[in-house]
Amino acid sequence: MVLALLGAIAAWGLAAWGYQIHTGIGVAGIRRPVFWGLYLVDFVFWIGISHAGTLISAILRLTDANWRKPVTRAAEAITAFALMIGGMFPLVHLGRVWLFYWLFPYPNSRLLWPNFRSPLMWDVTAISTYLTGSLIFLYLPMIPDVAQLAEKATGWRLLLYKVMALGWTGSDREWHALERAMKLMAGIILAVAVSVHSVVAWDFAMSIAPMWHSTIFAPYFVVGAIFSGLAGLIVALNIIRRTMHLESYLLPHHFHNLAKLLLLMSLLWLYFTFAEHLTIWYGNEPKEMNVFGARVSGKFSPEFWIMVFVNFVVPFVLLGIRRLRNITTATIASVGVLIGMWLERYLIIVPTLSMPRLSAGWGRYSPSWVEISITVATFAAMAALYLVFSKLFPIVSVWEFEPHEQEDA
Amino acid sequence: MSEQNKTPHRWGMAIDLDRCTGCQACVAACHAENNLSVSDAESAAKGRAVHWIRVDRYYEGEFPDVRVKYRPVLCQQCDEAPCEPVCPVYATYHNDEGLNVQVYNRCVGTRYCGNNCPYSVRFFNWFDPVWTEPLQLQHNPDVSIREGGVMEKCTFCVQRITRAKDDARAEGRALKDGDIQTACTQSCPAEAMVFGDLNDPESWVSLLAKSARATQLLEDLGTKPKVFYLERAK
Amino acid sequence: MSTYLTGTFSSKEIAVQAINQLKAGGYGPDDLAVFSDEPVEFPHGVLDRPSHMSLAVVSGAVLFFLLIVSFVYFTQHNYRLVTGGMPIFSFWPTGVVFYEITMLGAILTTFGWFIWESGLLRRDKSVPVPAVEPETICLRIRCATEKFDSAATILRSAGAANVAKLEKAA
Repeated sequence: MVLALLGAIAAWGLAAWGYQIHTGIGVAGIRRPVFWGLYLVDFVFWIGISHAGTLISAILRLTDANWRKPVTRAAEAITAFALMIGGMFPLVHLGRVWLFYWLFPYPNSRLLWPNFRSPLMWDVTAISTYLTGSLIFLYLPMIPDVAQLAEKATGWRLLLYKVMALGWTGSDREWHALERAMKLMAGIILAVAVSVHSVVAWDFAMSIAPMWHSTIFAPYFVVGAIFSGLAGLIVALNIIRRTMHLESYLLPHHFHNLAKLLLLMSLLWLYFTFAEHLTIWYGNEPKEMNVFGARVSGKFSPEFWIMVFVNFVVPFVLLGIRRLRNITTATIASVGVLIGMWLERYLIIVPTLSMPRLSAGWGRYSPSWVEISITVATFAAMAALYLVFSKLFPIVSVWEFEPHEQEDA
Repeated sequence: MSEQNKTPHRWGMAIDLDRCTGCQACVAACHAENNLSVSDAESAAKGRAVHWIRVDRYYEGEFPDVRVKYRPVLCQQCDEAPCEPVCPVYATYHNDEGLNVQVYNRCVGTRYCGNNCPYSVRFFNWFDPVWTEPLQLQHNPDVSIREGGVMEKCTFCVQRITRAKDDARAEGRALKDGDIQTACTQSCPAEAMVFGDLNDPESWVSLLAKSARATQLLEDLGTKPKVFYLERAK
Repeated sequence: MSTYLTGTFSSKEIAVQAINQLKAGGYGPDDLAVFSDEPVEFPHGVLDRPSHMSLAVVSGAVLFFLLIVSFVYFTQHNYRLVTGGMPIFSFWPTGVVFYEITMLGAILTTFGWFIWESGLLRRDKSVPVPAVEPETICLRIRCATEKFDSAATILRSAGAANVAKLEKAA
């Protein structure tokens, strides 16, 4: 039932995209000078969400934090699906999307190659690599579980599980190879994830537009990505916990630990934001101050201060005060962070573009129904994909984790 | 081969701001020459009007002692153009005559170049262009119609440059200064705009570019534009 | 002719003892396989499976690095276009692409080497596989048919339960 609703919303978004391809990208609200609007905001947002898996799975795996175990697959699934969704947005925002394959290097009769100097080409390679890596990273630890599922399955599921299990028997040779591969993949995927969001940041930072050309962007975006990914993970886990009755697997202390990490990332985000804004303000360069003023006290100030409130104040209060920290408040804070981080991407892209260096080029952007539909549809699509995944495969990794008695909160 | 210029050309423009009256004849001429789409009121309000050359107006002082300064801004054909390295498909690159070339057929519409241009001189075709009848009859056959999804900008009337070079080669002579007039320089009633070959030390534009009044727009960005604005130093 | 027999153990320590005794009896690591539903960490030296995965991954990464650098060099010289004053082959901007493809090489090599090293896809289908009970460790021995009884004796004396000949599942 829920799946049908989500599917309908996602289909509506797809239809909106089809309308856009047919009629022309002008049905979106973007305009000169704001050539990049909601689609790029969504792109950066979803790629950011994809860092959930990397953080939980890779970093915590490398640091041997055992509390991560019931949470890893949920996180890795978020990564894979968020990447798939985020990776669609470069296509959605293209003016001539039917020629998207020109971004890939393939031999052709005109002897044309893409321009590898462009940050957009860096995007292509980075996201392709990250998507490949996270799909493999998701798939590898699923093999033992899928082999187990294959023993009791019937019908098309049996075929699916058998094919995915690759003939896994559980021998020590297989286990050793798997563990070695996971350890290597954890390190590799971490390196790739850091580079991917740096590359996405460099789409903006390599430009000379005011307030974009900043060296802080790469680490800023990586921190923001881990921040938003963590928030997405907490929300997803809470939903799974309730709907799939995994209370004995996903315990309050898992949420406490995730909440503490979220608080840490919130402080880190605040630090980066403050450093960036202080530097700009102190430097007082006129073109940058135009954008700065618009963000902090001008036409974008409502969004800016809402962002600061939900990204810092709410997590600080709800998660910093131990008595207030529980699964519900962690989820509330996380929803706030998701909103806040989406606003942050919006505030990075739109104010700078609306106020280019020559004031004759200034212009105001308002998104159209097409952009909003597609944005909403991606959330629905994410939820739908996740739902389907959790129905087909165990969302808590069976071989890695044993259930505990339900702890008292 | 006949006497062709052996050194490549380097096209540039000089605009005398002390002569410019802000009449926008250059804007109208550019529209006519380059088949620019005409926007309706709704698109213009949405910021989708296309003017490859525009006249920026800067107001100084309070009413009634207001002074207005006019500056026609067009693609500066920067030697180190920020729009060029960011195009993932090489739809914009620098040819050996110094022009920043926009290849309509290659553009996939990522619009990064538009974001990176500090002069805001790049325009995007949001839809396939439409001309109400019978305006499509006045199209310039030398200039292609750009379909929706493609970036465009001032080309220094590359069709006129090509035609002049062809004519000169057909007649077996070298190009002379003044052979090529872009639509805007041709139409300026105040003769404020001059186009020519910066590699020719005798050309009018080269002499103007070396004048004491010559400045460049956003020069400190290091884009090395090839449009020189002449104005009295204050 | 080889036969297979299995014995199950409830704990890792007893299994280690059995393996040591079997090794003393002349059985090598290729004759022994341990089946379980979660990974079992034996102490070093008991049943080591040497692995070259790290080396393979590094080599794969280096290979992809060389490939991508040559490819980009080739394409940027093949299609010689100057953009923004940058040189024809600009190492640092394209360096990001190099990095990503290098990591892709590492990823693909990890996955490929895992498939190879685990023996998953090249498993000999004629070799029987025991069903694994949860929370137990199942040790499978390959031995010559005439030595079946001696192997079974070693297993039982080490403390294995359910020592039986393993037949290929129909």
